Amino acid sequence: MPLQLQWYLSTLSHYVGAAIAIVALMWLTNKGLRRLGLRGDAAMGLALVVPWLLGLLIWNAGPIVASLYFSFTDYNILQAPKFVGLDNYEKLISGDPNFWPSVRLTMVYAALTVPLGLVGSVVAAIMLNQGVKGIGLWRTLYYLPAILPAFVTALLWRLMFLPTRSGLVNSATEPIWSLFGDKPPGWFLDRDMLLWGFVIMSFWGVFGANTVIVLAGLKNIPRDLYEAANVDGAGVWARVRHITLPQLSPTLFYLIVMGIIAAVQVFDQPLFIQLPAGSPTFLNVYLYGQGFQFFQMGYASAIAWFMFVIILLLTLAVFRSSAAWVYYESEARK
Amino acid sequence: MSLRGVTAEQVGGAAVLGGSAREGRRGLRKQLRLLPVYILLGLGGIFALVPFIWMLSTSLKSQAQLFVFPPEWIPDPALWSNYAEAWTALPFSAMLMNTIFVTALAMFGELASASLVAYGFARFNFPFRNILFVLMLSTMMLPWVVTLIPSFIIWRVLGQINTYDPLTVGALFAWGPFYIFLLRQFFLTVSREIEEAAIVDGANSMQVFWHVMLPLVKPVLLAVAVLSFQGNWNNFRGALIYLQQPIERFTMPLGLQFFQASLSNEAPRWHYMMAMSGLMALPVIVLFFLAQRQFIEGIQLGGVKG
Repeated sequence: MPLQLQWYLSTLSHYVGAAIAIVALMWLTNKGLRRLGLRGDAAMGLALVVPWLLGLLIWNAGPIVASLYFSFTDYNILQAPKFVGLDNYEKLISGDPNFWPSVRLTMVYAALTVPLGLVGSVVAAIMLNQGVKGIGLWRTLYYLPAILPAFVTALLWRLMFLPTRSGLVNSATEPIWSLFGDKPPGWFLDRDMLLWGFVIMSFWGVFGANTVIVLAGLKNIPRDLYEAANVDGAGVWARVRHITLPQLSPTLFYLIVMGIIAAVQVFDQPLFIQLPAGSPTFLNVYLYGQGFQFFQMGYASAIAWFMFVIILLLTLAVFRSSAAWVYYESEARK
Repeated sequence: MSLRGVTAEQVGGAAVLGGSAREGRRGLRKQLRLLPVYILLGLGGIFALVPFIWMLSTSLKSQAQLFVFPPEWIPDPALWSNYAEAWTALPFSAMLMNTIFVTALAMFGELASASLVAYGFARFNFPFRNILFVLMLSTMMLPWVVTLIPSFIIWRVLGQINTYDPLTVGALFAWGPFYIFLLRQFFLTVSREIEEAAIVDGANSMQVFWHVMLPLVKPVLLAVAVLSFQGNWNNFRGALIYLQQPIERFTMPLGLQFFQASLSNEAPRWHYMMAMSGLMALPVIVLFFLAQRQFIEGIQLGGVKG
């Protein structure tokens, strides 16, 4: 039997086994809870969410607790984890010269890409919503970059940003650089410019998808609001400021939260772009290196928890602030 | 279905521009007034499209043509043989098979489990339902690195590192909260009366699910299928963590990374890399053009309904 077929059959048998086990557990939940006297409705509902509940326990809750524990240990996978107290966190805060530069790079990247992507897509969506012809075509065109795998996007922009004159971006912008008496930059090979390379690349990747989402939000705004504003003689800016943006705020809120989470966790792109020696890398890539190349699973877990807390704090901050700027129809009606 | 509603409204918006001759002239004036908007949109479109054209153009060049100045857009001759050469430089045929295998199993698992769970959340009253639902939504914000190392250790204990299990079996546990959320929202829009009629006819819950509910939410199911295909086909991260040599075991994304790393050591062969990148992206691009509505609506719904 060919080797490949053996691999497939092995996984297939585990897959089918797991599927049967899950279905059996669902069936048992339903029957068992009924026997215990639960309403049929409740028993069936609980049985139906069993796959997710199992997933929650096995792949989320358990691992979260475990990674918190690992973060207090010295663990190289081969030997059992050894408890070392706060050592990993101490190293992270003061003992590792490569950690904070990575934090800084990642945070600055997030702080630039999220707002840039948001403003770009809101502007594009408002323009598309002016009754331009061929809206389906525009939408397709803008959405196209978002369907590329992230790593293909990375390879493609590495090519676009080749530091030599033959790199497309540099050959097109050479006159502009020479205007300032500069040579075109090395982009991903230049420690000071690589951040901008990543920002431009990510803008290209997400802006179309965000535009499509914002456009759907715009279509949901009731027309009579604008008509009322027209009667009142409101100008373009007043309409954007007092109708479009408040009505759009739930959509923007969603995009900000999802954007922050994605930006802080950027991973595929930097793994396909070799950064210059001595340059900090993105947090997730740093974590991957510590855990899966140096096998410092304990330290990597501490970094993971650090990222978890950062993302949690940022998300909470956005949620907290949302009371002030996110407008919900249902609340206004109260 | 409200899925259709979005499109109908948008088509309606475009149709407003048509109409009688007089309106046509007014429309023309309006279109002229929109000229700056068209110019800006066009610039945005060029920004979106140019990298794609550059990818295609580069993939057809010879090594010598790669670094000429000024850049050449239409290589002469166009070397379509680059595609075959890049494909055979590594065992990409085997990797393609692996990727299809992984994608098919993971997609089926995601769709089956997510729709069952969504049906449970949408239609049944069980204890702690709302708490569990909020919990499910909050897992959407859980960074994957937090669970990464313990998950890796689970698979290691099970002896399944360097197999396709970690990339497929986990899908049976409804690992995509976003899909559950989308499907639930649509199950909620189905009127109870349709279900009750089926129950009066003697159908049980699972029969209602299979014969009534699933056909009614087919558009969302398609949207989820398309997103799920994209996610699994492009799953680089999982492959990087769980798959190792021999290369024949890789999936395409991992193969592409191996390819670029091995090619960078010599003179960078961008023509091969772009050919492979294009081939890798091709199924998703084709699917996008076939099921554009589902793609776009799938991602829109998160923003509008959320």
